Amino acid sequence: MADRQHLRITGVHALSALGRGADALLAGVLTGTPAFAPVRRFDTTGRRVTVAATLPEVGPLVDELTDAVDAACRAAGLDRTHRSAAALFLAVHGGPEAPALAADLARRCGLTERIRVYTTACVSASTAVADAATLIGRGDLDRVVVAAGYLVEPDQYALFDAGRAFAADGTVRPFSAGRQGLLLGDGVAAVVLESPAAAARRGAPTLATVPGWGRAGDAYHPCQPDPQGSGLARAVAAAVRRGGLPAEALGYVNANATGTPYSDAAEAAALRRVFGDRAGRIPVSSTKSVHGHALEASGLLELVVTVLALRHGKLPVNAGFLGPDDTCPLDVITDAPRPAVTDYALTLNAAFGGANTALLVGAP
Amino acid sequence: MSAASGPRVLAEARWPEPGDGAPPPVPGFVHSAFPPLVAAVADRCLTRRHGARPVPAGTRTAVVLVSASGDRASAEHVRATVAAGGRIGPLFFFQSVPNSVAGHIAARWGLDGPVVCLSPTGEPRADGTAEAELLLYDGDADEALLILIEQAPDGTPGEATAVLLGEGTP
Repeated sequence: MADRQHLRITGVHALSALGRGADALLAGVLTGTPAFAPVRRFDTTGRRVTVAATLPEVGPLVDELTDAVDAACRAAGLDRTHRSAAALFLAVHGGPEAPALAADLARRCGLTERIRVYTTACVSASTAVADAATLIGRGDLDRVVVAAGYLVEPDQYALFDAGRAFAADGTVRPFSAGRQGLLLGDGVAAVVLESPAAAARRGAPTLATVPGWGRAGDAYHPCQPDPQGSGLARAVAAAVRRGGLPAEALGYVNANATGTPYSDAAEAAALRRVFGDRAGRIPVSSTKSVHGHALEASGLLELVVTVLALRHGKLPVNAGFLGPDDTCPLDVITDAPRPAVTDYALTLNAAFGGANTALLVGAP
Repeated sequence: MSAASGPRVLAEARWPEPGDGAPPPVPGFVHSAFPPLVAAVADRCLTRRHGARPVPAGTRTAVVLVSASGDRASAEHVRATVAAGGRIGPLFFFQSVPNSVAGHIAARWGLDGPVVCLSPTGEPRADGTAEAELLLYDGDADEALLILIEQAPDGTPGEATAVLLGEGTP
């Protein structure tokens, strides 16, 4: 049973190349079949790599975000009145269009309490969740809908290709020997967060709790992680401390791991820094190996994965694994999903600028 | 920190201030005035508070960067190059998000608090101060360097403000 003091997640929805809706996402990450395929959405002529995880027939981002928010609110049982008192925290790529996108989304979805727009690269959505948790915990807000979206498009694709960030072999292999890089993937998600009291007043069922969260910086480099994982380790430690849990209560880590050689090693170093030798016994997987990297939306897509995994008692597969790498001495879930043996999991994200977040998720 | 008290302004700077020309270039960043402007105003603000790099050990300082337009010049260059079927220089990848220059400042000054970039939906300074206050309240940071920057649509360098917020004595 969920701790009465912990922030509640009462509704979720997600879109990815694995399909539309939570059921498709859960089925996809448990099956562990990567969704990468040649890009048809735009011309990739001249690019080093020409694959990504895209969902055919997606609409404009604002339409997909609207659909996601509506679906998550319906799942949470929010009526028009509840929505009008809810805040909207949106995570998207920054630029002159972002504020108008947020205002349009809020208007379409009837979320008028407060709007924030996070443009913190790959920790945008997870930072939004952490901030929502803080504001709800302090009593400033009762309810926040966090939405996030990235649909693979030509500009970011070209940038990642130019930066040689993509896996040239067309496979994402987090924590694995022979990993070559990341691949992009569509991700649009929405999550309804509520205070325990607000959820109880509505009699809303709890999908999961968020007992802890943490954010910290590396102070190391504009776009490379600290090889020692110092910032991520502090974010993880803060999340566990806020959650008030012993380390042995943690039964799964949905890792940030992108399949990039140095950043996966830095993440492994961070986990060992916090948990010591126990880090090698905590089941870990990065579902980016299946749905790809959804950039600003990755934190929310992976939070939804973690919530669903805990609810169903099965931990998703880390696809693409060729064999162990000495720089990543972790218990990586390969081959098949594993049963969840505890009620708590972490979902981690890291971004350019040395930005790191950790969200602690609890089964209801 | 309580929600009501709010953080104090420990130091503040602008770029340009009287006598300023273009901000100095930042190694590894190209084409756009956005990263140099952010780095210059941050350096000025932190120097006013701390004198020299890095910030005192044990002071976890967040970087909160607020910009509605983001790095407009870089984004427009990428968009035009891709639309024309051209190839983008690799450095544009590394400056494709505002986190990068925030990380440059963080590494230079030892700012190991959270890095948060926002697109304002209200008055930018109020939005950024609210975020900084939240991070301080939550305990993930002891101080927060708030940077407000906008680039004009015509590509002129624009202006930036940096404010160091915390509970110390101004």
